[in-house]
Amino acid sequence: MDSRADLTNETLVTTRDLVVGYEGRSLVAGIALQVCQGQIVTLIGPNGAGKSTILKTIAGHLDVLGGCVFLSGKDLRDVTVRERSRELSVMLTDRVRTELLTCADIVEMGRYPYTGRLGIATLTDRQKVREAMELLQVWDLRDRDFMQLSDGQRQRVLLARAVCQEPSTLVLDEPTSHLDVRYQIELLSVLRHLARERGLGILMTLHELPLARRASDWLVCVKEGKVALQGTPEQVFVSSVIDALFDLEPGTYDALTGDVTLPGTSGQNRGADA
Amino acid sequence: MTRRVVTGSGSGMANAESYGAGRTARVACVFASLAALLVIALVANLCVGTVNVPVGQIVPILMGRGAGETAYQVIWNIRLPRLCAAAILGGALGLAGLLLQTLFANPIAGPYTLGISSGAKLAVAVVMVLILGDTQAMSSWMSLGAAFCGSLGAMAAVLAVSRRVRSASTLVIVGVMIGYVCSAATDVLITFASDANIANLRNWSLGSFSGVNTRQVALMAAVVLVASLVTFALSKPLGAYQLGESYAESMGVNVRSFRRTVIVIASVLASCVTAFAGPISFVGVAVPHVARRLLGTSRPQLVVPATFLTGSVVCLGCDLLARMLFSPIEMPVSTLTAIVCAPVVIWVLLERRGRVA
Repeated sequence: MDSRADLTNETLVTTRDLVVGYEGRSLVAGIALQVCQGQIVTLIGPNGAGKSTILKTIAGHLDVLGGCVFLSGKDLRDVTVRERSRELSVMLTDRVRTELLTCADIVEMGRYPYTGRLGIATLTDRQKVREAMELLQVWDLRDRDFMQLSDGQRQRVLLARAVCQEPSTLVLDEPTSHLDVRYQIELLSVLRHLARERGLGILMTLHELPLARRASDWLVCVKEGKVALQGTPEQVFVSSVIDALFDLEPGTYDALTGDVTLPGTSGQNRGADA
Repeated sequence: MTRRVVTGSGSGMANAESYGAGRTARVACVFASLAALLVIALVANLCVGTVNVPVGQIVPILMGRGAGETAYQVIWNIRLPRLCAAAILGGALGLAGLLLQTLFANPIAGPYTLGISSGAKLAVAVVMVLILGDTQAMSSWMSLGAAFCGSLGAMAAVLAVSRRVRSASTLVIVGVMIGYVCSAATDVLITFASDANIANLRNWSLGSFSGVNTRQVALMAAVVLVASLVTFALSKPLGAYQLGESYAESMGVNVRSFRRTVIVIASVLASCVTAFAGPISFVGVAVPHVARRLLGTSRPQLVVPATFLTGSVVCLGCDLLARMLFSPIEMPVSTLTAIVCAPVVIWVLLERRGRVA
């Protein structure tokens, strides 16, 4: 962990034959993926395929049903909650409802693994808070009540919180939802900055295919209980792969432009989109 | 791509503090006011009553002078234990409410609204009537233990429900129902109790700070002190828990042991109140909200002590009014706490609705 500066592409997260699911019922099995320093890995696939479940299992919120997750080479089951919180921080799709907490309060919670018994932030902690908030461009909102923000602003504050936790890996569930296109692009460029300049590993799910294609170093396609395919954006963003992944009619996804062709609206194919 | 350059050095040291400015002054002001109110309430509770004792006489009496006089007897045997009970148990109620609101992420959770006070009441009544009968008197420890078991029982029921329903209001409705069932069962017991027990039970099941002796005060002080210190020590995870269980876990909170501790401490606090004073309504729900509003933040490091102080002030004030308003007739303190606190709860709900929607 001390060698984070030399960016030797050390492996941060590895899964071996991982099985994930809820309450003992497996949803996706045989997952083998890897996140290295400075690498952005994105899970894509249809709704309900189990992308979030994979993230939650790796983050330790759900039990590992089979196989192994390794955090910096250590089995997740042998890592304490406290150790894990310094290795990995998350941004979830859970709706966060607070009362009388400012944005700075929320971001400061990211310092949890570093503050003392009573959680009093030191000057260094406060500087980290400011740094993270400036990076996500929410410093101006620091004394605003979290609940009074727009969804997009909240999303960025929550990401600032995750960054402030100074993990080696960021786990992000749909970080671009609720964001308009400008902030989507800005957010992804911040993620790139974190990966390239600070050597963070980033594991996330994305819905927007064009964004996934631009932002990721590695893509993992999840479908029907297994990892259907993984590879670089060039390998995955091929018309036939995407069409098959999302059960589209062949030729719907244009690999060159990233465009989709809508089925003819004049005909009677309303039923075809089920 | 508009990426801002991050400068962490240079002028950063001075500016790094530039959030949350102005909070310190407000916090100091709130704590000073609460402390002042507490002193005023304590003095007023000592002086006012059927026998009025002038403020000037209080200090000599407390120093132990004038042992033979009526005023001395009234202060030492009646008013002092009673106001200590009101202050200690008021703070305990507030903290119990705060813990339950955080645990269930529910603004209207409290020991009374979730039926936990009533569960404790039922357990105490069962021990008093069915197990001891009218031959033995009930010791403080015994009623405390019974109340604790009752609290945990009601808590277990509410927890089981909370796992099945996500809606905050449904949870409270179920809690209120559990409360009614327990109260009804207590009433049944009272019907079959012997005459000697009936008087005790009736008074106690209405809720009152009167009739506690010095030894009971010492016991409740010890229990509440320990539980309050534990609550304060939980400030950090309580803060993280406000973002929800998953976030708390990702920040390093051991959620399972945290929840267990909160459940036990909230039950201890609630059962201590019920064992010594009976059910006191709505203080637990309302007081944490008042403390948060006064401070303008929900950081538990500040809210925990402020909640204790506010709870003490509210209970002392209500007890004073209960004794004074229709003197010499005394009203049950629960009546007054309901009149004072229920509107606060309604206001909080309306204001929340307006803000969130």
